[in-house]
Amino acid sequence: MTPNPPEKPPAPNPANGDLDSLSSVRAILLAEEQQRLREIERRLASIQHQLETEKENLEKQSGELYKEQQHLNELLHNTQNQVYQLQTELEILRRKAQSDSEGVIARVSPILGDMIGRSIRDSRDEMAEALGPVMGEAIRVQIRDSRKDMIEALYPVIGETVQRAVSEFAREFQRNIDARLRQTFGPQGMLRATLARLRGVSPSELALRDALPFTIREIFLIQHGSGLLLAHSHPGSHEVADSDLIGGMLTAIRDFAHDAFGQGNEEKELEEIQYGDQRIIIQSGRAAYLAVVIQGVEPEGFRAVLHKFISELHVKYESAFKNYRGDPASLPNLQPKLARLVMETTGGQTISGPMSRQKKVGLALAALFAILLAGLACFYLQFTIALYPIAFPSKTPTVTTSPTATPTYTSTPSATPSATITPSRTPTATITPTLTFTPTHTPTPTATFTPTFTPTPYPAYAAANVWVRSAPNFETRRRIVLLKGTPLIVLSAYGNWLEVEWQTPSGVQRGWVPAIWITLREPIPSQRITLTSTP
Amino acid sequence: MFNVVQKKICLLGDFAVGKTSLMRRYVEGRFDDKYLSTIGVKISRKTLFRDYGQLNLLIWDMTGGDDIGTQARASYLRGASGALVICDLTRHETLTVFERYASQMRALNPHTPLVLVGNKVDLIAERVIMDADLRLVSNSLGSEQFFLTSAKTGTNVEDVFTYLAEIVEKQE
Repeated sequence: MTPNPPEKPPAPNPANGDLDSLSSVRAILLAEEQQRLREIERRLASIQHQLETEKENLEKQSGELYKEQQHLNELLHNTQNQVYQLQTELEILRRKAQSDSEGVIARVSPILGDMIGRSIRDSRDEMAEALGPVMGEAIRVQIRDSRKDMIEALYPVIGETVQRAVSEFAREFQRNIDARLRQTFGPQGMLRATLARLRGVSPSELALRDALPFTIREIFLIQHGSGLLLAHSHPGSHEVADSDLIGGMLTAIRDFAHDAFGQGNEEKELEEIQYGDQRIIIQSGRAAYLAVVIQGVEPEGFRAVLHKFISELHVKYESAFKNYRGDPASLPNLQPKLARLVMETTGGQTISGPMSRQKKVGLALAALFAILLAGLACFYLQFTIALYPIAFPSKTPTVTTSPTATPTYTSTPSATPSATITPSRTPTATITPTLTFTPTHTPTPTATFTPTFTPTPYPAYAAANVWVRSAPNFETRRRIVLLKGTPLIVLSAYGNWLEVEWQTPSGVQRGWVPAIWITLREPIPSQRITLTSTP
Repeated sequence: MFNVVQKKICLLGDFAVGKTSLMRRYVEGRFDDKYLSTIGVKISRKTLFRDYGQLNLLIWDMTGGDDIGTQARASYLRGASGALVICDLTRHETLTVFERYASQMRALNPHTPLVLVGNKVDLIAERVIMDADLRLVSNSLGSEQFFLTSAKTGTNVEDVFTYLAEIVEKQE
């Protein structure tokens, strides 16, 4: 509520001269206020001016903003249009994918494969973790729903795996058979084979049984109850770090089995544990037991051997076994005995570990020495062969002659037994062979003789049924058929023809055949082949 | 000559008193927060180096509680050189059953040293078994000393096994 203004004083009369004085008084009294008023008016004007400027600016900015808004509206509109278009395209694609899944798979597959490949390469573990459960489930579902397809799909892989395993086994089997065959020819092997035969086991069955692989991987000698390890042997070179823990665990398992299944029968024992292709055979004694880790099928009487071994150990060391409190000094060294048991039961077949460095070096040196020795032997052999003709010149005349030639030699014997004869040959000889031989007759001045020389025999056989000709060419008459496989002696060679001799029921036959039908057991030296000339 | 001596040590105690955790803390130096209730038996080795060579403690951690056949457990006790009888300081009933474990052990191995261990000492607010109770039980076991341990923090874990190893060695 606004309060009522106070009553105004009576206005002065302006008709008189008081007006000027009033104005003067007013001017004096209100000078300061007037000054202030003017100042305020000036400020007001300034502010008004400023306001107008601001207003103009604002108008200008609002105009710009309006334009911006327009532009943004346009953009929004365009974007909305694009989104709508994309949604439409997506919908079309979705419908297409539903109707044409094959096509989509074909288009996506190459990219998908690349993506998966890259993911597997970059983050293998994550992929395995992500896919593992799904794959397992997928395989289960697939097997349940389309078992036949799964079998067909997996068959090549499984088939190959099985094939590889079987071939590996076959190789091992073969090696064992070879090893056994080498051992069979001893008196013990013979006796065993005979005994087996008497019992109705054929040698092949016996060999098959023996060839089944069997190896001992480890032997533990463990104290009853406490499970403390008394001795341990591992025939291969692989070191077992936890043998004492294994001893304890075996004892626990054995005790558990006894308590669970023994039903109060103290005689019953856990005799065997199988894990994969390995088995642990347990042979118990009164104070200790043997646990033998084996691979393959144990030989006949293996358990009897173990029983005998543990019994013998007990005879000697039973009190030591019973009183054993973990200090090995209170026990004899039983490791060599275990090693010997392994050797006896496997015949030395143990799992061989990786070769030591020393062994490798030794083996390499031995191989080097063997190579050196072989090289020296080869050199010596070559040297001997090369020197042989010089050291022992051939005394057998070597003749390369025409097939129809029946040389008549006219010799002019001299008094010395050794003679060099230059025969003149008739009728068609084109080569004059030089024969060097030592005649065995006592020459008489008038003697004319035909030397009988032994042709150098080159054993051979007929590679096929082939016609034998009387001369080394195809124009001559075909005499007889030489049957395939007939053993022959090659007497001489002429170009691509060979003169051969062979035995028939009617006597020795001789003739020429093309060399391609003859298989030589050793090559004919080139100097003994007549290469040119016409027969 | 380097000598390797083996000693079988058993961990006895009711279900979930912390036997396995104590063993893990001692052998592997860590506490597994995931709860592991032992089924049957688990054997671990701790090697201690001595003047004469090394001492391998084969620690048999056995299932506690009545739910597993006690006969099987009895067979596991054979040949033990020493044992820790463990109770949970937050559960009074775990102390009252010690008599059963002690008598089982003594029946099979008459002179085997037994050491009482109160585990989970880190749970101060929840503790219900006091030192006086433990002293009483420990005396009845024939042991002068008992240990308060925590597998979680590692308190006294090393000490209790070292103590047992020493008295086992002395006794032998």
